[in-house]
Amino acid sequence: MKNYIDFAADAFWNTLKGLWVTLKVLFLPAITVQYPTEKIVPYPRFRGMLAYDAEACIVCGMCVRACPSKCIALAKAAPAPAPVPVEGQPAAPAAKPKIAWYTLDYGRCNFCGLCEESCPTKPKKALWHSLDYEAVFSTRAEMVRSWKRGDDLWGTARNTAEGQLVPVTDQIHIQSVPVRK
Amino acid sequence: MTEEILQPDISGPVFNHANGRLLMPETRYWPTDMWKSPWSLPTYRRGAAVLAGLITGGAAAAWFLGEIGPRLAPVYSFIEAYALAYGVPAVLIQIFWTFIKGGILLLAPLVNALFAVWWERKISAHIQSRMGPMYVGWWHGVLQTVADGIKLFLKEDIVPDCADKIVHWLAPVVVVIPAILVFAPVPFGNELVFADIDIGTVYVFAVGGVSVMGIIMAGWSSGNKFSLLGGLRSAAQLVSYELPRTFAVLPVVMLAGTLNIAEIAGFQAGYWGGIIPRWFIFYPVVGQVAFIVFLIASVAETNRVPFDIPEAESELVAGFNTEYSGMKFALFFLSEFAYVLLSCLLMAAVFFGGGAAPLPFLEFLPSWAWFLSKVLILMFCFLWFRWTFPRFRVDRLMDFNWKFLLPVSLLNIAAGGILIWLLS
Repeated sequence: MKNYIDFAADAFWNTLKGLWVTLKVLFLPAITVQYPTEKIVPYPRFRGMLAYDAEACIVCGMCVRACPSKCIALAKAAPAPAPVPVEGQPAAPAAKPKIAWYTLDYGRCNFCGLCEESCPTKPKKALWHSLDYEAVFSTRAEMVRSWKRGDDLWGTARNTAEGQLVPVTDQIHIQSVPVRK
Repeated sequence: MTEEILQPDISGPVFNHANGRLLMPETRYWPTDMWKSPWSLPTYRRGAAVLAGLITGGAAAAWFLGEIGPRLAPVYSFIEAYALAYGVPAVLIQIFWTFIKGGILLLAPLVNALFAVWWERKISAHIQSRMGPMYVGWWHGVLQTVADGIKLFLKEDIVPDCADKIVHWLAPVVVVIPAILVFAPVPFGNELVFADIDIGTVYVFAVGGVSVMGIIMAGWSSGNKFSLLGGLRSAAQLVSYELPRTFAVLPVVMLAGTLNIAEIAGFQAGYWGGIIPRWFIFYPVVGQVAFIVFLIASVAETNRVPFDIPEAESELVAGFNTEYSGMKFALFFLSEFAYVLLSCLLMAAVFFGGGAAPLPFLEFLPSWAWFLSKVLILMFCFLWFRWTFPRFRVDRLMDFNWKFLLPVSLLNIAAGGILIWLLS
């Protein structure tokens, strides 16, 4: 009889504890993010889509060597003619090497961040992971982003319809998305 | 490595820690971070304000409307005088008036289903930290149920090949008609009762029991093993839990000396020492035990979690309503929520004093408002249980009923007798 009453009292008490847990959560704000209309800004070290600055790049090829999935390729532009040395003045520094083209295949990229880590330019890196996590590709050709000098940071991709290289416009800047109301 | 902070260029792609720091003033990280201080969120404060405003506004509207029951009497006398002037027989007027009252009563389960389904979805969502329906309707998906109802109306009505066609068609009717009839003797406030019959309590339990028949018919006629199992489980469960449910009300009936639900509610008017309401729930031990037994048995009677073995989703697909689609399925759903409303109305009337105010100075609100708020709080308990407890196993369900609830309710009747003897 005592066991019976103890069991019933214990069950009742545990029932109340369970109810208290759900009641607490009920009055906390929902953690759901209604994605298309509101978006999370990820942590600062989040590795999102790669951005590349053709002006800052010194064409050292460190990223190509660092990449474990071999998704980066680049070519150096023909060097500018060396300036004619003037008598009595120190020789002008050699012109910084410029990029001819730079491609990055998102079909192979595994977002490890080694290319960004190995990039030696100062004070800003020429290749880095942005916080943007929204990427949609409809063909494999589209997954290859390519940059030339003068392109913006998202580069260009081969358009599905015309097969032309067009600037990437659907890459949203996640930081400029309005925060949740 | 210089610790130079570079201003982020917001017009371009986002910079990370290697290219300047993220300096957005309202940067959010992971959503659970907001649990640390929910009151710092404007949306949370606004939600609390809306909730307070709804309660205050509802109370103000109730105070403005006042008692509804006495206001209907002039309407009736006006219709009667008008009809008599045109030579309509008095019997016809009575029949007509009964139909009008029946129409109004029919609204109770229908409106309740519309509201309760939405409420259930919202509460289930918030207990799981989701949001639930948010898009349909102008505010937090309030019209979601209407949209679902329209969808169910327009859906194809599928009858399985191996089903017993007539019984399959009849089962939802048998379930839903008692679910509406059962509201006849239940009060919704002072003088707000369709049929003020003296055996109201017995009537409610008797008519409510007929729905079991419909569920068994649905299970049997579907020609599906899951439906059949669901129907049989339902029969076992509902018949068993009828007993403690009825026995739990008996002490109240003994104390009040009447079976009329409106009179039982009226019996609990007044206050002990001017503060504690004379509701049955506040009678020492007997009241609380009776209420808990009645609550548990009511949850079981309405086939809801944790007693939802007739339609256990993970075991029986959907139990007895597996083979039902479209409007027939909607009728089963409607009857389930009608029975939830009925249980809440009964509990409010029998254990919580019906339309009585909890404190003397709150009596300025009409009785139907108190009734409604008690019903809503009790209905919240039903939804709360549903999203807290896991489902019973079938044998433990029966154990719980026959080895715990039934003896406790029987002992409680004896205790109620002793209490009456002490009080007299």
